[in-house]
This record gives sequence, structure tokens and C-alpha cells, in this order.
Amino acid sequence: MLEASKPRVAIVQFPGSNCEWETKRAAEAAGMTCDVFRWNIDPEVLASYDGYVVGGGFSYQDRVRSGVIATKEPIVGRLMDEVLERGKPVIGICNGAQVLVEAGLIPGVSTGNVEMALAPNRPDPAHRIAGFCCRWVFIKLACDPERCVATTRLEPGEIIPIPIAHGEGRFTTRQEGLVERLQANDQIVFQYCDAEGNVEDRPEINPNGAVANIAGVCSPDGRVMAMMPHPERASFLGQVPTDLGGPWSRRRREAYGDARALEAPGPGRPIFDSLREALLASVPA
Amino acid sequence: MALDERQIAVSQLSDDELEQVMAEHGVGLTVGEARRIAELIGRDPTLVELHIFNVEWSEHCSYKSSKASLRMLPTDAPNVILGPQEDAGIVFFTEHEGKRYGVVMAHESHNHPSQILPNEGAATGIGGIVRDVDCMGARVFGTADPLRFGDPQGEHAERTRWIVTGVVEGIWQYGNALGVPNLGGDIYFDETFDDNCLVNVVALGVVAEEDIIHSAVPQQAHDEPYVIILVGKPTDDSGFGGSAFASKILDEEEQAEDRGAVQVPDPFLKNVLAMRKANEAVREAAKEKGIVIGMKDIGGGGLACGTSEIAAAGGFGVDINLEEVHVGLEGLLPETIMCAETQERYVIAVPEHFADEVLEIYNQQWDLLNVYEGACARVIGRVTEDPTYTVRFGDTIVTQAPVEAVTSGISYEREEQPREWSEPEPQFDQPEDLADALLKVLGSPNVCSREYVYRAYDSEVQGNAVLRPGESGAGVSRPLEGCDAAVALSVDGNPKYGRIDPYWGGATAVAEAMRNVACVGAVPQALTDCLNFGNPEKPEQFWEFRQGVRGVADAASNLWLKGYEQTPVPVISGNVSLYNESASGSSVAPSPIIACVGVLDDYSKAVTTQFKQPGDAIYLLGERKDELGGSAYYEALGLGLGANVPQVDWEAERARIYAVTDAIDEGLVAACQDISDGGLAVALAEMCMGPFGRGDVGADVDIEEALGGLRPDKALFTESSGFVVEVRRGSEERFEALCAEHGVEPIRLGETSEDAELEIECGDDDLVDLSVEVMAEEWTNALSRILS
Repeated sequence: MLEASKPRVAIVQFPGSNCEWETKRAAEAAGMTCDVFRWNIDPEVLASYDGYVVGGGFSYQDRVRSGVIATKEPIVGRLMDEVLERGKPVIGICNGAQVLVEAGLIPGVSTGNVEMALAPNRPDPAHRIAGFCCRWVFIKLACDPERCVATTRLEPGEIIPIPIAHGEGRFTTRQEGLVERLQANDQIVFQYCDAEGNVEDRPEINPNGAVANIAGVCSPDGRVMAMMPHPERASFLGQVPTDLGGPWSRRRREAYGDARALEAPGPGRPIFDSLREALLASVPA
Repeated sequence: MALDERQIAVSQLSDDELEQVMAEHGVGLTVGEARRIAELIGRDPTLVELHIFNVEWSEHCSYKSSKASLRMLPTDAPNVILGPQEDAGIVFFTEHEGKRYGVVMAHESHNHPSQILPNEGAATGIGGIVRDVDCMGARVFGTADPLRFGDPQGEHAERTRWIVTGVVEGIWQYGNALGVPNLGGDIYFDETFDDNCLVNVVALGVVAEEDIIHSAVPQQAHDEPYVIILVGKPTDDSGFGGSAFASKILDEEEQAEDRGAVQVPDPFLKNVLAMRKANEAVREAAKEKGIVIGMKDIGGGGLACGTSEIAAAGGFGVDINLEEVHVGLEGLLPETIMCAETQERYVIAVPEHFADEVLEIYNQQWDLLNVYEGACARVIGRVTEDPTYTVRFGDTIVTQAPVEAVTSGISYEREEQPREWSEPEPQFDQPEDLADALLKVLGSPNVCSREYVYRAYDSEVQGNAVLRPGESGAGVSRPLEGCDAAVALSVDGNPKYGRIDPYWGGATAVAEAMRNVACVGAVPQALTDCLNFGNPEKPEQFWEFRQGVRGVADAASNLWLKGYEQTPVPVISGNVSLYNESASGSSVAPSPIIACVGVLDDYSKAVTTQFKQPGDAIYLLGERKDELGGSAYYEALGLGLGANVPQVDWEAERARIYAVTDAIDEGLVAACQDISDGGLAVALAEMCMGPFGRGDVGADVDIEEALGGLRPDKALFTESSGFVVEVRRGSEERFEALCAEHGVEPIRLGETSEDAELEIECGDDDLVDLSVEVMAEEWTNALSRILS
């Protein structure tokens, strides 16, 4: 592909970010050109990018609440302008999702107001030792694929094995009726499920106890999407564990001994493919 | 400029007076050592000098009791890029795009701090080891934590659980925030750790050979002026006396006051310094300009160790001005600034003309001043041709001594006295129900699944995970983008074996670490050791130490590097932790803990533990012997430790390890597990269950051919070295031929089966018939039950 047709994406970096390089790798494999954009670079420069990914980590040490300090930085102010005024797409992953929620972009029913929270994981009776949980889970596409910039390349109801790694990832809200409203509005993008796609609120399936098993949410216009699982860690077949069960582990096993075959896209790649598609559609030729 | 007036009149004071004066100042040196210092520097030492020698001559920094014994370890082999003389060792990894790459490997202990402040102790352990690897110019891509805790169901169960929880939280809170994935680790519980837990930590990094940064002032400092930059957290009084504290016996009464000796961790600041951020920017800028720099982590012994050792390693002197050191507290005394072990700091030796650029990179580009209050980079001194260590504070010179005198340390000859192991091998009848015995073993503290712990560790960050904790005996990562080669890491050391026989404790730790790396298909390349023992001043405990080192040395020397004869798998880095003894006089189980790094040329060939498909052949490699001493079986049945500890047959071990790695490389193997805790029975059970206890393939095996004259239960549970291998259908003949080429006789035990069940027979007798579900119920949730 010609360089000129590659959308340019900024991977926003805060002090404490720790997923910027694998996020860049995953997004570039999907055909985008990415820069890791440091927090203290002139925010004006941010305007020159077509879209954004806010990645994982512990921005500003998760002080006060995960993600909240970052929202006070000029760089996020500028990011919000680009999103709200120019309709540029942004995906938030893990700590990035926490930032987008704290910035009031997600769910964005009344934009700029903090309507949800990513609360500490629900204590799991079999896992009392710490609040942090890192493991592979399954999520399914819960919305119409056309609903959101991050899902157009997924099949309706597609089941995705993907790792989570967070201590505060439980989507929740105090606003009565908000979840119903998100459902009615088709803003619930991903839900935790089992390998067969059953959505049940059990610790094995819903690892952090999120309301309605929510793993990802988009804004009303579908231009902003926040998710707790890490698609960049599931972007290549070689990143998928062999023993999870299900078609992706089977594919991984079939590629045994073939390093090139393991470079094939993984279950999380379509999320980046979708972003690229959205950017190509919105970038003037 | 005048010498500090606060001198200790070593030459005039009587022994008693001197001892008293030193005690008043919190200096733990002996009277003899203080007089030796006065001799070395040719006058009475200043108070600051005495403090500096106090840390430099601590066991932790000087290895004064262990140095002579460590010479037994084989440290040289054709693949060694850097042996154990700097902050970390480096072994050849792979060639990629025309460059040679090495794996940087470091191994430390944070035992004493973790016993009294588990969270901070364990966290700063990770912090320190990551700095050790980072400062070599490497990108840090993995850690592992070998942990040893007291009996979780014993007399001190409550405290033990508090320590376990604190340590695990410290590890995840620091490691996860930093962004370094966990590649594995191991946990043992034993009552000898009730008063002294062991928290070891290993870190790995990757570096191009041409980009290695040494922990020394470069030779270019002969040609142009070099300065010393201190970067990181503002120095405070935290960890003051930390190294001296790490070298003393823990007394419960004193724990409250010792807490001040534990450092305060900050992963957030470290993330900005180390994780492909500020430090890497400095190294890149230097490389671009062809400038050679030296870099050293500031850890044990603080600024005193860091600045003197970086100078001495290059053959230079250094002149430090403490007024230039950025501090986080008002009114710090010069000895505190010199010896505090404030975390997240480095010293860097750079040419004077490059210093401003380095400061700009840290302070402006990477925004240190705003990232952490008081953090920054500053020039604090200059390198001198004259090999003198000079430290100024205000208008006085607080230290002026030959730099070699400061860093060369002292050594002691300790006495060793062998001790006998008196416990006999237990006499008992074979239990009627071996399925029940297997379930007991699977649910026992030292065998059950570790998921409860490792789930709290981020094993996915950086996106390079190939095999994660639980999936196999070793963690595997692919640290170089675009390169198919991968690194496997395992840590091992069974304290029960060490208690019975420290020599075989050391030797089996090496062999098991190599087996664990081999069972994923990686070829063992290098070892590190952390030698955790008791009080070297007690002859029996020093004997245990010597025996442990001999065992490690013999195993490393006799389990040759692949492709060579009479060439060791080298020990490239390590650490010694002594005085793991409580005030009541009991020491920890002799614990030589070994980490092994292996290399897979093609990560796509890495195999996991879980059985893959029905109809494959199951082979046993390794004769079953009457070696149940220290076994999980005896423990689960309440039979004590016994006496017949597993030993290592060098030639057979070597042959099996390389037969397995060759078979995996040829693609003959679908799954593989090494035999260790719980023996053959547990290895088979784990292969049925898989990492999540959800395996869907079972096994039908007959152990009659494998008895080796043993009673069936002993054959099933003995911990004699070996492997269980699932060989792909149709590859049996080739596998047997390959084993024969290596001089290994594989025993075909049976086949994998369609139902998720483990069925073990011995001739006509049915011994075990258990479903994955029933086994997983015991194995998966046991640790959470035990710890709550």
C-alpha cells in the first residue's frame, strides 16, 4: 500500500503509560502510521493526526482515580476538541478507557459529564489475594458492527478471546436507567462471555463484575470507543495461547512450527482494521 | 579545603571505647575492621568514611564470607558476553538483521525487607533488579519471582499469610505499573521460612552487543573530561543502612526500628526513566554522537557504592560535591546522603560537553521535574585521573581515600563443620487408594496450582508473551520485534531437598531449572544463582552454604552447554543472601535458588504442558528410583522428610535434556512436562488438566515397565529426574531413534485418550482413575483455601 493512503494515528503517551509500543505495532500491522505522542509535546501538533489511540498503563500513577489526572492535562483537552469538534475517532484501551470515561467522552450521553466509572474489580472468591487480574477471557460483539468506528470489520456477535490486565475495570454507574439507555442506543460494544458466547454474570465469565458484563462502550455517535481488554495483545495469531479452547487456539495449534503463519492477524486485529477503515472514510483523499 | 572535623579517633580509643562510639553512630563494623580502615586510608577515618565502609564492607555489598566459595562456580563459556562482574551478566541470544544480541540477566534477593514490610520489600526488589538490567543498556522484558514462605497452616500461619499477601501485592503493584511482564516464578512453603521469608527476583533484558553500557567510567575519560550525573528521585533518608540491615539476623523485637531501613518504591517514576523512555533517549543520543558513557544503578550502599564503584571499575577517581545532590529532605547529614538507599536513581558518567544535553533530555524532554516532585538529573561531580575518592560537603572534605580501598572490600575465612541428617526414610505400606493419595498431593501447598498468585501479575504487557505462567515449566517471551528467536526462563530450588542435603539441593536446582527450560523446547544457555543461607559465622550453617555452592558448581559444570563437551552452562550473575536466621537461632532451609535462561531459535515450536490430542503416544524419560526424600508425597501423607533425596546423574540428565530439545525442534512433540514435585503422577495429572484445569484430553498409561523395582506408589510419586512427553501419532519411531542417538531409553507408558480422564494401571491393577474435573477441583483452588 502507498504510504500516502495510510492514516496517521497518535498513540497518546502519559507518564506511566506502558502499552504504547505494542499498541503501535498492532495499529501499524493494520495499515496505519503511528507515532507515540508524549504528553508534553505541544498539543497543537496533535491536530495533525487523523485519529487517536489512548493506550494502557498507569497514567499519573493512577493517583486519585485511574485516568482522572490525565484528563486535566492540556493534551487531553486538545484531544477532546479534535473528537468533539472535528469528529476524529479515538479508541481507549484499559487505562485509556479509564481516561475517556473520566473525560466524559464515554458513554457521552451528555457529553463532558462523568456518567460511568471503572470501579475496582469485584472481589472473586477464588482470587482474594489482590485486586489485579490478568487473564484471557472471551468477549463478544454486542452491538451492530456498523455502530462504531472500532467494530465495522467484526462479524455480528463475533466471539473474541482476549487478555485483560487491570485492577479497576468494572464498568458501573450510579445513574438510574443509564445501562438501559445504552442498551437501547446500542452503545454497549463488547460483553464478557464464555467460549460459546453465553453472557452470564459469573466470575469465570465476567472477570471484574461489570454491570451487564460490559467490556467496551462507544459514544452515541460511535466515534469514540473505550474497552478494558487489550486488543493489541491479541493482534497476531502468535499471541493467542494454545490451550484456551475454541477456534482461535485451534488455529494457533495448527500453525505450530510455522513462525510466518503465527504472524497472521489475531482475534483483536479487526478492532484496529475497523479504525483504519473509519479513518480512510473520513480522511479527504 | 579542610577535612571534616568529625573524625573517629580509631588510633587513640580502646577497643571498648571504639565499639561504643561506633554503636552510638549506628556503625556495625567490628573494632578490627575499624582499625583496618584507619590503616588503609593512613589516618583516623571521618564519620562519613566510617559509614561508607560500613555499607561497603557489609556482607551484602562485599561478599566477605562468600567470595572465596563463589570461585567454585563456572562462569566462563563460549556464549558468555559478560560474566558476573557488573550489575548483570549477559549471554549470547541470537543474531538478527546483522547484529548480535545478548540476554541480560540479573538475580537478587530482598529477603530481610520483605519479612518486616512485605509489600515495600518485594516491590523494591523488582525495582532494583530492573535497574540492574536497564543500566546495561538493555530493554527489560521479563521478571520472575522465586518465593519461599513459612508454613501457611503452622504455628505462624497468620503472619505467613500476611507476608504472602503483602509480597504478592508488592510484586504486582510495582511490576505491573512499571510495565514489565512476569514470566514465571515459583513458591514453596516450609516451616523453616516462618521467621525469614525469601523473596528473590530475576529480571531479563535484551541488548545488541554493540549497545552494551558498562557500569564503569569509560576509558575515553583519559582523553577528555568526564562528569558524574545523578538522575532520579531526590535523595532522602529512606533505606539508610539497608545493606547493613540485609546482613544481620532478624530479631522480632527490633523489627519496628528496622523498618526505616526498607526503601520506598516508586514504579511510576521508574516507568518514565526506564521503560523505553528517558534512559533510552539518553543512550540513543550518546550513540548517535559516538559518545561512550557509563551507567550504574544505585541500589545497596546508595550513592557511596554507586559513585565509588563506577569510578574504580574504570580505574579512575571521582570528586563528588554533595551540595549538588538533589535532596528531598532538609538538613540531611552527609553520611545519610552518601548511604541512603533512596530508590529510582542512577549515576551516569558522561563527557562534560555532553552533560547539558543529558540534563535537557531528562529534565525538559522527559519532564522529570513535573513527573515527580524533586526528581531531576544533576551533575554532582567529576571524574579524576587520580584514583582517589573525594567527597565534599559545604567547605569540608568528608571523604578522601584511595578508591580501591573503598571498593575492594574485605574477606573472611569462615569455618565449616559438616552436619548429619538424622531423619530415616519412613517405613509404611502402600496406601490402598492411590487416587486419593494423588488428590492429596495435588491439593498440597507445594504442588497445587499457582494461578491464585500469578493471576495478579501482568504477564501480557509488551505483547511478547509466547508461554505464560502456568502454561509450562518455563515462561517464554519473544523480546525482539520481527525476530523468531525466543527466550525461556525458569527458576527452581526445592528447600526440602536442601534441608536433607544442601549439595543435592544445589545440584537438583540447576538440573530442574534446565529441565524446565528444555521441556518447552529451549536450549539452556546460562544460569544465575541466589544463594540464600543462614549465618556464615556458625560452622554448620557455613558448611551448608559451601555444600550448596559445590552442588550448583558441579551441576553447572557437568551438564554441558549444548554442542560442547566439558563446557559448563555458565553462571553469569548471582547474589548471596546470608544471615537468614532468626534471633532464636534457626536458619532457613539451605536455598540455592537457580534461574536458567534458554533460547528457542523458533518461537513457533514452543510446546506447553497440556495434552493436545487423543491417540498420541506418552513416553517417560528417566528411570524411577527410590528418591522420595523431601517429596510432596511424604509431605501429603505426613511422613516427614525422609532421607533419600533425588540426585543428579550428570550423563543421563544431559542426554535427556538434549534429547527432549532436539525432539521438540524436529516437531515430534505435542506436549512435555518435566518430572519434579509430586513425581510422575503429578506430571501426568498436570498434562491432563492444563494450565486452567480445563484440559479435554486424558491419558491411559501402564507403569509396569517403569517400576524399576519400586513399589507402584513409590514409582508414581518419586521425584527422580525425568520428562513425560506426548509424541505426535506417527512420530513414535523417529522419537525412539532420536532418543537412542542420545543414549536415552524412553519407556512407552500408553496413549492420550478422548475422555478427559487420567487412568493409571500397573499390569492388571488399576491404580488411578480420575477425571480432570475432580483433579482440577483439588489442584486449582487449593492455594486460595490454604491462604484464607
